Amino acid sequence: MFDLLPEWMKNGIGDDLLFWLGYFTNGKHLAWYASVQFTLTAAIVGAAFALLFGLIGATLKNSAFAPARLIGSGYTNIVRGVPDVLFFLFFPLAFEQLAELVLAQAVCTPLELASASGRWPPCADANWYLDTFQYLMLACVSLGIVYGAFTANVIHGAMRSVPHGQLEAARAFGMSPAQVAWRIHIRQMWVYALPGLSNCWLLLIKSTSLLSLLQIADIVLWAERLGAPNFTRSAGLVHPDWRWYYYLVLLIFYILLTFASEKVFAALTRRASRGMAVASAD
Amino acid sequence: MKNLIIAAAALAALTTASQAQAIRIGTEGAYAPWNFIDDSGKVAGFEIDLGNELCTRASLECTWVVNEWDTIIPNLIAGNYDAIMAGMSITDERKQTLDFSDNYFPPDPSKYVAAAGKTFDFGNLSGVRIGVQGATIQAAYAEESFRSGNTILSFETADQALADLNAGNLDLILADGSYLAEVIAGSGGSLEFVGPDVMIGGGVGVGLRKADDELEQKFNAVIAEAKRDGTLDALITKWFPDKGPGPFFE
Amino acid sequence: MEIFVPIVTDLEFLAKPSLFNLYFAFASIPAGFVLAVFMALGKASSNKLISTLSRGYIYAFRGSPFFIQLFMFYSMALAFNMSLWKPLGIDWLMLHPLFLGPAILVLNTTAYTAEIFYGALMTVPKGEVEAARAFGMSRVQQFRSVVWPHLIRIAWPAYTNEVVFLFHATALVYFTLPVIDDQKDLMNKAGELFERDYNAFLHFSVAALYFLVISFAIFFVFGLVYRRLMRHLPQVQKIRFLPRWLG
Repeated sequence: MFDLLPEWMKNGIGDDLLFWLGYFTNGKHLAWYASVQFTLTAAIVGAAFALLFGLIGATLKNSAFAPARLIGSGYTNIVRGVPDVLFFLFFPLAFEQLAELVLAQAVCTPLELASASGRWPPCADANWYLDTFQYLMLACVSLGIVYGAFTANVIHGAMRSVPHGQLEAARAFGMSPAQVAWRIHIRQMWVYALPGLSNCWLLLIKSTSLLSLLQIADIVLWAERLGAPNFTRSAGLVHPDWRWYYYLVLLIFYILLTFASEKVFAALTRRASRGMAVASAD
Repeated sequence: MKNLIIAAAALAALTTASQAQAIRIGTEGAYAPWNFIDDSGKVAGFEIDLGNELCTRASLECTWVVNEWDTIIPNLIAGNYDAIMAGMSITDERKQTLDFSDNYFPPDPSKYVAAAGKTFDFGNLSGVRIGVQGATIQAAYAEESFRSGNTILSFETADQALADLNAGNLDLILADGSYLAEVIAGSGGSLEFVGPDVMIGGGVGVGLRKADDELEQKFNAVIAEAKRDGTLDALITKWFPDKGPGPFFE
Repeated sequence: MEIFVPIVTDLEFLAKPSLFNLYFAFASIPAGFVLAVFMALGKASSNKLISTLSRGYIYAFRGSPFFIQLFMFYSMALAFNMSLWKPLGIDWLMLHPLFLGPAILVLNTTAYTAEIFYGALMTVPKGEVEAARAFGMSRVQQFRSVVWPHLIRIAWPAYTNEVVFLFHATALVYFTLPVIDDQKDLMNKAGELFERDYNAFLHFSVAALYFLVISFAIFFVFGLVYRRLMRHLPQVQKIRFLPRWLG
């Protein structure tokens, strides 16, 4: 890529620097930089799912119907007792197998189904091949499930923080329960939920480092491959173990991401609390 | 389940592409010179060259899928790709779960590598830290032979074991001689072979699902052809210079 | 009854691996606790340098994923093997997963716990400390008799959650560190069982069950401790945990 520079410029930069510039812009490194897209996609789409599941979970927990409350608190408690990495590995696998199970009932012959003990999928036609994008989406849903449970707790708590007087006033205006919930309760809830949501988001972006466990070529996987020692001359630059330099870069990347997120949430909180009598309005 | 990372399409040189059967080949991408990600970020290596050649001859349209070694067989069975070319030795144990084509690399001795100047009493190894890549024939062999009195460390990739050997966290690595020869040549004298060769494994072949007999026959036919006309020998010599010019079969 | 057989078999298979997760967690809790107290005091210190360093440490470790910390510290420990650990004769210890795993966990949990303790420290009423000083107490006495009892009661619910998080973080250790002989944890073993028969529902669920049961055992035991800490209060308070995502 730097071969195209004019000669005087090359001389100015110097051979060493030129070599490193070339090395850090080779295809393998460019693939590493590009793989940030997976991390960011997983964070943003995962957060959207988390918000969705969080709202559903909080609604269930707030429900007047006892079984719904039970489901809501069951969901949040189970997720709280199990490591996120386990969900991360389990959910995409389980989802794919479940889909293939349904598919197998439709496309496999009864004979194949009967003789398929210990084999998966039962017949070749029932195999569902997932590409990187579909897999990434499954990873996002897993993130959503895990952090949805956290979000549900946050939203549940925030909904209870909305002053009762406001809801009573809305009812006095003759609003229906649905109108009270949608126009007043959920809108007023955000400002109380923001600090908790900010914490959920910070945990979620850190969890995106687990994408490589689903064989998605994310920044962690490329860092591992780039840093691993190479003594085979035909495989590129021969170098010793450089892994920790690459991991250090990732560490700094995540710290910066955290820093930027905090700034954004601080601005959001300021905006959301305009005219509200809460401490964060100052 | 687990799947696809980087795929490099090797389009068969066919004008009538619609006739070509499309298959995916799984490889590890971290086992130079067999298969690796080169500096341009693409899969390359002996098996990539060979696989593309075989696909062209068999009128197959092949795509490469990189998958971590420890789940490479489960993913074949689960149908995330249709063949494995990842330096996988043909063994009786593996034959219980999958089929192999005829070998495209002759039986190759496994070797020990250690920091230069170190010596070991191989008749009576004890207190030694031995590194292997998990789920390999060498891992099984080390487990069987050196379990008592030694420490066996298993790693996800061969490169990771190499990093630990270089850092002095291992005394020995047991791995394929063909992989180690290039490593030692490039290590600038810091590593060397020690001890006896270990003959395990029956050569390297294409791993296939048991049901895919048709694909197996196709691969066998083109492997035999490549052996006959010297293409395979030339590729081995190109990627494994220490092997010399061959012939490697019969 | 037939369907319970594989579950029981899995429970047996995973019993020993679960001990490794427990070991990783409980080997790092004491050191993490003690270091966090100092780190929290450091963050609150009036000495600019100490305060900045503690603040930076806490921010860096809370701001980056534990998964990457594991990777980085393992390869760093390797890089310093020849120049540091070997000459000191501690290479067998430094690179042993059963030492290095808890060591990295300690680095991580110290930061999270310190933040919790720091938050609690800020709630200690100024008047009480001043009263203690008026009594002529030394700084150590002030800390022991006024600050600490207040701090730990405020911090305990959040600390309980941190311990559960720490226990969950142990699931990541063997994704990075090499496995010696058959020292496998729950995740290793569940993965291994899965690769035999592709029954994700069974093996991962049983592993999840282990995590769930142990997590709730931790909640329970720490709840008992909390009741004891709060025994001076007129009525026993309902234990309500303030999780990490609210703190």
